[in-house]
Amino acid sequence: MTNMESPARAGGSGGLRVAAGVVAFLIATLAGIVAFGQFGDPTVDPNTFARPTAANSFALILAVALLVGAAVTFTLEKIQTGRLESLSRQFTLRVIVLMPFAIAINIVLGQTVAAALKIPIYLDSIGTILVGVLAGPIAGAATGFLANILWSYVIPPPFQYPPAAAFAVVAAIIGIMAGLAGRWGLMRPRTNRSTGQLVIAGVMVGAIIIGLAWLASVGYTLIFQQDINPLPETDNQLFLVLGYVAILLVVAAVLGVFALLFGRRDLTAAYAVVTGVATGIVAALISAPIAAGVFGGVTGAGTDFLVAAFRQAGVDIYAATTGQGLISDPIDKATTFVIVYLIVVAMAVRLKARFPQGERLIEESAPPAGSQEGPG
Amino acid sequence: MAATVTAVNATLLGGVLGPVALTLVAVVLPAAVAGILPRLLRVGLVVALPLAISVLVVNLFFFPSGASVLFRIGPVTATAEGLAYAIETLVRLVAITGALVLFYLTTPIGSLVVDLERRGVSARVAFVVSASVRTVPAVIERAGQIADAQRARGLDTEGSLWRRVRGLVPLVGPVLLGSIGEVEERAMALEARGFSRPGRRSLLWAPADSDAERIARWLMVLSVPLLVVAGLTGWLA
Amino acid sequence: MLRLEAVSYRYAGAQAPSVVKVSLVLGPGEVVGLVGANEAGKTTTCLVAAGLAPRAMGGDLSGQVTVGGRRLADLPSGEVAAVVGIAFASAQLSGICSTVYEEVAFGPMNLGLPRNEVMARTVRALEAVAIGDLAARDPAHLSGGQRQLVVLAGLLAMEPEHLVLDEPTAHLDPVGTGLVGTAITRLAAGGASILIAEHKTDLLAAICGRVVALDHGRVVLEGAAESMLADPKLERLGVDPPTSVRLRRLAVAAGVDPGRLEVAT
Repeated sequence: MTNMESPARAGGSGGLRVAAGVVAFLIATLAGIVAFGQFGDPTVDPNTFARPTAANSFALILAVALLVGAAVTFTLEKIQTGRLESLSRQFTLRVIVLMPFAIAINIVLGQTVAAALKIPIYLDSIGTILVGVLAGPIAGAATGFLANILWSYVIPPPFQYPPAAAFAVVAAIIGIMAGLAGRWGLMRPRTNRSTGQLVIAGVMVGAIIIGLAWLASVGYTLIFQQDINPLPETDNQLFLVLGYVAILLVVAAVLGVFALLFGRRDLTAAYAVVTGVATGIVAALISAPIAAGVFGGVTGAGTDFLVAAFRQAGVDIYAATTGQGLISDPIDKATTFVIVYLIVVAMAVRLKARFPQGERLIEESAPPAGSQEGPG
Repeated sequence: MAATVTAVNATLLGGVLGPVALTLVAVVLPAAVAGILPRLLRVGLVVALPLAISVLVVNLFFFPSGASVLFRIGPVTATAEGLAYAIETLVRLVAITGALVLFYLTTPIGSLVVDLERRGVSARVAFVVSASVRTVPAVIERAGQIADAQRARGLDTEGSLWRRVRGLVPLVGPVLLGSIGEVEERAMALEARGFSRPGRRSLLWAPADSDAERIARWLMVLSVPLLVVAGLTGWLA
Repeated sequence: MLRLEAVSYRYAGAQAPSVVKVSLVLGPGEVVGLVGANEAGKTTTCLVAAGLAPRAMGGDLSGQVTVGGRRLADLPSGEVAAVVGIAFASAQLSGICSTVYEEVAFGPMNLGLPRNEVMARTVRALEAVAIGDLAARDPAHLSGGQRQLVVLAGLLAMEPEHLVLDEPTAHLDPVGTGLVGTAITRLAAGGASILIAEHKTDLLAAICGRVVALDHGRVVLEGAAESMLADPKLERLGVDPPTSVRLRRLAVAAGVDPGRLEVAT
């Protein structure tokens, strides 16, 4: 899965290891389904007309199984070759230095949003996705995982957030998806596209944004019959400022998408939005059963009222968290992917080139001939 | 270690009694012994309160299959089943939070990281953990500088939302990109200090470990699968 | 003996090389100054001499960099730091050490030396830079000049054969500059082999035996420090002459007989 490029090397072929990993993945999936699957529940969520309970557990099982499969693959690699080439390629010194910053951004922004803002997003994955895109899937997964663990256990209050550790698996999967998006060149700038393409992309993105925003407002009006108040409300001066920063980021993301599309004529903005939505859906499906099973659906964030709204509509706890997730996560991840793309675009080429996946973030056509680069 | 195990156990134990007992044994008792019980309570309160309120509100009023109504406030009704579920979740929450806060208060992160490294965790992982813990306050401090700059411009208490947000733009951008630039410099500095050398690096000191602690650790680790089995076989119903 | 032979280097993602056919020799106990305008290639030369480019940053290198006859490129990863140490203007710390002592010990710890050796080297390095009294302080709370001293001590603790300093006083106020300048002077007097890139030619005048001038990535002038720094061509290259030279020129322009002029530095 994540070893797409490993060539055959002394000590066994990469293909064999991947096969072993896949087998482990399937076994883990089966075991998970047998032990925990809830396919017997016929509840249908009226909003999405799906079978959320079944989907819930399945996604979580798949996620854990994926990690088990990956672990098997890497363990085999270690045993056969004595080293972990595919991993160490992603964890260069630069990546190691980037990770603490990424983790810190995750925690600071995520805690701010949870504590001070009442809008249904998280903004706790910017660091994870940035590392994933720049360094690779495993690096991204490690960033997300560590960030959540540290967030719960090690960071002092007021920034400590106990529920985060349970969602470490979700963060890891987000990191993997971001890494794959980078590896597959989805985040490579594509400027100077034809107007036709841009208009189509613009319409699509616009539709997505409007759709997501409508879904979010549905949650509010369901309970409170009043308008959304997205402004930060808190006494803590620090959270106040950070809260505004969070709002700024969301606004910047939305504006950024259109600026990229029509200012730079950059098609990748649309790719970022779509990737974000896809990642959000996956994240929602995986995190819903965790939220429901461990915390009764409530995590202290601004998303709780959405869960409440669903419960009032009469659905069970698993469906409620799924519904909330499917509203919050796509918005959150799409915004995050756009922000990360904006950062990537703003980074100097020679800075990007030094990261493992940096080459995939540079435009294909060579830049215009410039004078000598580099620091004095 | 203790924190994770406690948290996991708390989840597995159903009902109200289990988590309460667990909290008393695994959290309150050690805290009292270490003399930090008051601090534990204060910090734990700060951390858990928003969560607890949410849990209470959501479950009390919005429990779907609740039948026995306790009282009404406007359009929402409180149910006994909701209350029961809320209490159950709250107790679990207290156990988890208590364990985590205890861990935080008793374990200096420096010792933890050094110990991990001594047992074979790579220097790079230790670095990421240590650096992350130190970077969070650094990022917060930068945010504080942004707050000061905002106040100097008189933009924090007056001005429309748009003005306030726009005022942040010339500050946030350089901060974000400046952080990334700092990544470059720090990577160079680490390379220049020999950090990329393969193999273990020598450590100046390490926290002591006793046999009693080792035994306690094994007991705690074993208790998790035991509880899982007990739960699955319906023993704790 | 640190030797650059016809070295050209192009950064990853750049169109043109930043330094072209640069040759430089740094003998044991020598202090060589590197001058030039911004973007002339001083930092690039420092990075190449210290083995960081291209090893840690990609890019293309042609020509050879050798230390004592061995090619830097052939040294195993992490061993380069034990041979050539480099410090930058930004005084970057490790980021994970809470005391100056640990920070200075960071390098030797990475080299995997036995504990006693690590501690001995740390103490020696602290003394060499005269910051023993800062040993228990948190390095993040020090002034810029003090931080740079800690960085220097950290490098010295690894006991490299050569030191490369890229504008070490660039971000420092006059007090910090004084601190760092004194420390470097002491090191130079003690026989260290140093390649130092600087704009502050006063410092170079005090410690360098030779000076090399760069322009657009090439070596355009080199020679003994005293004659180099008094050379009027330097100003055209964007380098300010040292105070003593300026004073002398002013005095001569005012009509003082140069033969009877003695300017103390």
